[in-house]
Amino acid sequence: MLRYLALKVGRALFVVWAAFTLTFVLLFVLPANPVDLLFDPAELNTVTSEVREQAAESYGFNKPVLLQYLGRLGHALTGDFGNSVQSGRSVTATILDVLPSTFVLASGALLLALLIAFAIALIATSTRRAWVRNLVEALPSGAVSVPVFLSGILMLQVFSFQLGWFPAFGDRGAKSLVLPVITLAIPVSGPIAQLLVRSFATEFRSGYVTTSWAKGATRGVIVVRDVFRNASLPALTIAGITFGNLIAGSVITETVFARQGIGRMTQAAINTLDVPLVQGVVVLAAASFAVINLIVDLIYPLLDPRLRATLTVGSPRAA
Amino acid sequence: MVSDLRSSIERAAPRRKKWPWGAGIVAVLLIAVSGFALTRGGGPGAQAAGDGKPVHGGTLQFALIDYQRSPDPQWGTNYAESLIGNNITDKLTWQDPDTGEITPWLAKSWEYNKDLTEFTFHLRTDVTFSDGTPFDSAVVKANFDQYVHGDQKLGILPNGATLLPGYIETRTPDKHTAIIRFKKPLASFLQASSFTANAQPGFLSLSTLKLSAEQRTDPKKVIGTGPFVYQSWKAQVSTVLVKRKGYNWSPPALKHQGEAYLNKIVFSTIPEASVRTGSLGSGAIDATLDVGTTDEKSLADQGFEIIHRAVSGTSIFFNFNSRLFPTNDIAVRKAIQLGWNREALKKTVLTGSYSVATSVLGPSVSGYADYSGSVLTYDPKKAEQLLEKAGWKRGPDGIRVKDGKKLVVKLLGINNLVVNKPAYESIQQDLKKIGIDLQLTVVPIPDYSANVAKAKTDWNITAANRSRNDPAVLNLQYSPLLGNGSYLGEDSTGVDVDEVTKTLGRLELTLDPVERKQYAKAAQDLLLDKYALVNPVYNPSQVIAQAKYVHGIIFDAQSRNHFVNAWKGNGK
Repeated sequence: MLRYLALKVGRALFVVWAAFTLTFVLLFVLPANPVDLLFDPAELNTVTSEVREQAAESYGFNKPVLLQYLGRLGHALTGDFGNSVQSGRSVTATILDVLPSTFVLASGALLLALLIAFAIALIATSTRRAWVRNLVEALPSGAVSVPVFLSGILMLQVFSFQLGWFPAFGDRGAKSLVLPVITLAIPVSGPIAQLLVRSFATEFRSGYVTTSWAKGATRGVIVVRDVFRNASLPALTIAGITFGNLIAGSVITETVFARQGIGRMTQAAINTLDVPLVQGVVVLAAASFAVINLIVDLIYPLLDPRLRATLTVGSPRAA
Repeated sequence: MVSDLRSSIERAAPRRKKWPWGAGIVAVLLIAVSGFALTRGGGPGAQAAGDGKPVHGGTLQFALIDYQRSPDPQWGTNYAESLIGNNITDKLTWQDPDTGEITPWLAKSWEYNKDLTEFTFHLRTDVTFSDGTPFDSAVVKANFDQYVHGDQKLGILPNGATLLPGYIETRTPDKHTAIIRFKKPLASFLQASSFTANAQPGFLSLSTLKLSAEQRTDPKKVIGTGPFVYQSWKAQVSTVLVKRKGYNWSPPALKHQGEAYLNKIVFSTIPEASVRTGSLGSGAIDATLDVGTTDEKSLADQGFEIIHRAVSGTSIFFNFNSRLFPTNDIAVRKAIQLGWNREALKKTVLTGSYSVATSVLGPSVSGYADYSGSVLTYDPKKAEQLLEKAGWKRGPDGIRVKDGKKLVVKLLGINNLVVNKPAYESIQQDLKKIGIDLQLTVVPIPDYSANVAKAKTDWNITAANRSRNDPAVLNLQYSPLLGNGSYLGEDSTGVDVDEVTKTLGRLELTLDPVERKQYAKAAQDLLLDKYALVNPVYNPSQVIAQAKYVHGIIFDAQSRNHFVNAWKGNGK
């Protein structure tokens, strides 16, 4: 058990370090010079070399690349990612500022996505009408294929510009959260729903269900009491993918709804080659990703007795 | 086998009827609603205007694409930053947007020495910062010193070094006199003292200047003398300004007495064009900057007012690389100037808010001369003759060839303005007809910046514009000693580099209006006609759509907005 734990934690740490290093390499491989992006593009040729050097020096861009890497890594270990090139503000403070906004949006969307996914799976499994099942089963692929951008704009057209129920932009309390949450939940719910529909169908055909039928249980009781519990577990395995979808979706959702957030900040940071800020965000994303997967890995044996048995008896590799 | 058993059990069970239908209907409705957008009705823009007398009070909801990355106004390269900076700080002088004349503001009067290396400003005595401290010559000195040199310890960059090249010092003989000295003659400094665009010289209090870049992200600590003060700043989302109590020093040229009319301005960042126009239509905002060319007409039809001003400085230009094949051939450069249909560009790409360029300078810059009747005209026949004469013969695919090399011209441009790409494509089509293959690379700013570094050897044309309402912008942009926009050098065939340096340089040597006009004309003649170093394309504009009850938003000489005079007819 201890080896299993050490292995998983070690892997998580490696992922975070690799993300940090990869971002650094990528940003330095890019042809643009972050210092150039501090100036008006039309004025670039007029900026004197002294000014350029002074700017480079104040961000440490004039040191050898390896030294810059080690310096940044050392500081990063203490949670210090330096100052954003674009705003001069500390990266940690900048991220902490916008993180709550994205967190609220993402958790709301995740909750709604789960509700939608389970509703789809339950309806698809419970119904005895083929056309209802077919229709409902088509929804997840539909949800994934509608671009977030489009659904966001449509949602705004109807509920904000036409009906005036919700504000169209900004962060103004719960009301301005409704449309972005729905917009983000739709694509996130797709993969979860697909997985659940399949696992509900599989479980519905297993032996214990037949036993329940034989005992006289109704379809509804079987689906809710027996199938639901066993079929829900696999949804945890795609927690990492779900997290990824939430982050990717938040970039567009936050842009369309003009919300403050990590997604939009990341996009701006990449566009302006704000090396310290991009690194901070990437490390945060990688760490969250690693932690989520770690928790899933650790929690799974607790939830699934079969797995627990193999762990205590056999080698951890079997997991 | 198992499923057979199940089906038989299930079939035996009684059927319930209601909910599956319900679920089906709900699902169908969901799909229908999500694929269905109603057409827009008439917005509040249709409301009537007031009687023309300014109404005090109210909050202006103003939308734009960009957001302030920091509340520090001396820093920043986007419109949100310069625009908001203009409303919380004041400048020494005010440039009249119509005449280009420099008029008093925080400086009552000024004089300069004959060499134009020393500028003496006599300051107003009644101006204070919003924290109550006085505005005086010591403040001017502290601001200019930091503005030009930056402060390494505080993390402040030399934001003003490009605007004030050769700045030596500011002398303060008395409390209300500031003498600003330069190493070399700098006629354009007078206009620079009114500069309202990127990285502007707006005055900050001494307490603000002591703050680090990071501390300046607390908007309440950023103190100016302007008609508004910060109430809040939320990166990516909004900046809120409130009226400065007791403000009474707006530029005399504006004829505005006392405080601003509005109580509050909320600048909301809305990156999506359709959300900006939709919010305007629904009344969530009163006015929006960054109106796209395709939205202008529909907003006007909905009853909104479109106000605009061309950006002063250069037009959007194609700067020819005079050293790189094939633009090192003046025949090619001239053929490009003559080879595209300006009427087509106007009809298919531009709206009434934009105009086709008739010189490298915008029409609002003093010294502008009109070349639409001479070199900047559509004459494909003459263009072809020029190319033929220079030895460019039609190849099998229609593209001309000389010495076995094709007439391929590579252009590097920025896609930050929506008009750019379609405009360049229109030119591309026309040039193809006369046998020039113009290849476009129109990219976002970071990619453009990355490529500018290699422009000397890789790109025949760089396309951009420079915002500076002074004819000396030509010197900044094209002088071989400064921007060297056409990469002039010893091997630029047929160009007398010294002549260019001297002709452009003269623009910095005099402030006499008549002389300057002559020098500006000489500079344009050289750049457009004699050496054909640039092909001006169109004059970009800043466009605002506003509800009918919004009045008095000012476009200044740099096409940035001032709100001291703005008011809302409904006073809300």
